[in-house]
Formats: sequence, C-alpha cells, structure tokens
Amino acid sequence: MRSSFLWRNRVLLLSGGLLILALHLLTSGLRPDARATRPATALLEVLRPFQVFEAGFGDEANGFIHDYLELVGTRKENDRLKAQLAALEGQQTRLVELENENRRLSDLLELRDALQMKAVAANVIGNDAIGVSQTMILAEGSRIGLRRDFAVISKDGVVGKLIAVAPDVSRVLLIDDHNSALDAFDQRSRARGIVAGVLDGGVTMKYVDRSQDIKTGDAIVTSGMDGIFPRGLLVGTVTAVSQEGPGLFLNIGVQPAADFRKLEQVLVLTQKPPELTVADPG
Amino acid sequence: MRLIGIFSIVTLAALALQTTLPHLLPVGMLMPDLALVLTVDLGLRHHGAAAALMAFGIGYATDAFSGSQLGLNALLFVLVFILSYWLSRGFFSMGSGLGIAAVFGAVMLCDYGNYLAGAGWAGDSSGLLLPTTLLQASITALCAPAVFALMSALTRAAGLRERTSRS
Repeated sequence: MRSSFLWRNRVLLLSGGLLILALHLLTSGLRPDARATRPATALLEVLRPFQVFEAGFGDEANGFIHDYLELVGTRKENDRLKAQLAALEGQQTRLVELENENRRLSDLLELRDALQMKAVAANVIGNDAIGVSQTMILAEGSRIGLRRDFAVISKDGVVGKLIAVAPDVSRVLLIDDHNSALDAFDQRSRARGIVAGVLDGGVTMKYVDRSQDIKTGDAIVTSGMDGIFPRGLLVGTVTAVSQEGPGLFLNIGVQPAADFRKLEQVLVLTQKPPELTVADPG
Repeated sequence: MRLIGIFSIVTLAALALQTTLPHLLPVGMLMPDLALVLTVDLGLRHHGAAAALMAFGIGYATDAFSGSQLGLNALLFVLVFILSYWLSRGFFSMGSGLGIAAVFGAVMLCDYGNYLAGAGWAGDSSGLLLPTTLLQASITALCAPAVFALMSALTRAAGLRERTSRS
C-alpha cells in the first residue's frame, strides 16, 4: 500500500485536487448566499469579538503610551502631581474623543436626513488582511438589515459597497480597490465615466472621451446609474488630467473625498436608490 | 488533527492581527503576511495530506478577510504550499535562509496573483506594485524565522514530527 504510486504522491495529488477546487470557487461566480461562501461568512463572525476588542484597545494603548512618555524623567516629588495631571489629561482626552465621536455621528445623522434614505451607522473595526486589496470590516451585519451591495458613505463622500455580510459583521470594498468601479460624472461639465481604484491607493476616472471638458479641481459625483449609490454623492476631486499615450480616453486622477484610513464610523444605506435612466444625469 | 488544530488557532490569531493592526497603526502594506508564512512552514516542514488541506484552509480563511474574489487566496496558498513542498524535497537540510527565501517569493507570488486576478496586466499600474510588494515581502521574510520557531515549538509540544531533512 505505502509503496504504491498514489500513496507516494498523495500530497501532490491532494494539492492538485485542492487547486482545482480553489479554481472552481474562483471561476464559478458564487452567489452571495451560495453554500461555499458560508464558512467565509462564519469566519468573519468568529474574529469579530477580537477585532472589536483590539479596535477599542488601540485607543487605550495609545493614551497609555502617551501618558507614560510624558512622565519619564520627572522628579520623584512631582510624580503624584504629574500622575494626577496625566489622569486629568486622560479624562480630557476621553471627553474629547467622546465629543469627536458625537460629532461624527451627528454628521452622519445629518447626512442621512439630507439624503432622505434609510441608513444605519456602523463602526469600522478592521482592514484588509493582505493590503493589495482595499477593504474594511464593519461591526454590523445582516442582523440589523445590511445586505451585499449596499452603499457605504461617510460625511466626506463615497466609501464603497458591502461585498460580504455576516450576522454581526460585514466587509466593504473601498472605491480605491482595483476591483472597484462606480458610475460617476464631472459635476461641472457633466462628462460621465467609471471611477476605479489604482494600485497606489488613488483613484482614476476611466472611459472619458478626449473631447470632454475636464479640469483639475472639478468635483466628481455619483451618477446613480449603477443602482447602488444615489445620484449626487461626492466621490472626489480631479487632481490631474492628461492625454498622454495612445487611446481614445483621458487619463484622469481623482483624489477621493473620504480619507479611508481615518474612518471610524460610516453610514450604510439600507435602501436602494431610485432607478435612473440614461438621460437623467446629463 | 493536532496539526490542523494548532495551525487553525494560529491562523485565526494571525488574521486577527493582520486585520486590526493596519487599522490601529499606519502600517498599510508593511504589515507582514503571517498567514502566508504559516503556509510556507506547512510546505517546508509538514509533508502530509493534513498539511495540504490546512494550506487550502488558510487561503480560504484569508479570502474571508481580504479581496473580493472567494477562492483566489485559496488557490495561491495551495500553490505556495506545493512550491514550498517541492523546494524542501530538493534540499538536504533546511536552514532559516531557505525559509526566508521561500517566504519572500511567496509574498511576491501572492501579491502579484491578487493584483493580476483583479486588474489584469496593465503595464503602468503593475509597476506601482513592485516597490510596495518588495517592501512587504522583505518585512514578512524578516518575521518568518520567529513564526517558524513558534510553530516548531508548538508542534513539538503537541508531539508532532516535523521534517528536518530530505527523506
């Protein structure tokens, strides 16, 4: 038995089978509710408590390190006073943090009211595990009504859309990911294009004809044509326009309006935007 | 089963770190890909069917926390496992240098695989990937000996045998 070809090459044969299974997963275009996606969704749930804990622990740790460095090198008789001061500063920092959080949530509430759409606020608890892709993890999921492809926005602008949803946690594909694409137009000239991520963390606007009038500083807003984002949300501003290289289209660099690395709370639109026809945005 | 148990726990811990540290600190792509180091460790030191299954499991778990294409990292991680397995069979002894080189190559393979599967080969954009990928591969490779030592200690503590030379 142990000298047979199959037994001697069992690792490679099994690995080959697993490669085929992975290729099947990759190419079969799984639906969100497919059986093969359930373990992945369950894994999101498994790590949620650690991510929530670590997200909270980070703030505490930063405060601790700051306080410690402040106290190093002081004289002994001043320790008590300094400790009191540090404690008061810590309290003040926490108060400022609470005030900031309050302001952020108020901003999101104002935004929700302005949009006149159903939406829920969610805390950001993690980022992409590798870094080549641009995704983030939210501490809310299907239990409060979130679904795949719901739009995620912040007070500054568009953030992304949900790509995986577990009961208490979900993942967002950010608009600066190279797999992301959203329909948008230049607010001034009304030129339409597709906003997509590029590898350096920036965003580009594709498929805009060279004859179109696009200028640096123009605001790029969602067109509402993709059925995910409502029309008129700020995506970013044009930072560069060029006609270099062959092709029919302009090279347009866009600076996203939202700073994805600093986001702590976002708004998830739990209602699909009204359907638009092609004639609407122009 | 013990191998799968140990590697499952360490994988979850690694993924918890990989998903939260970039959020807390401005590390971005400087975060070492610890899950990938575990896969290389499986390929270099554990030559059984359970190790191949575990490599697939680590890749699938990474898919749950990264990117938008389920199965992509599972595919890349099994490839890394096979390459590490072949590499270890070709060498009589495995110093830490071999492991570091394998991890470096594995990060390059996975980063480019992740990018190309999504965006295709666009000359100007793929050039942007090289510096950051090289940096992440270097940082991950630097962390690899510590991870190998940890896994070696854990597997020995669990009474598992690991391959140390060509057999």
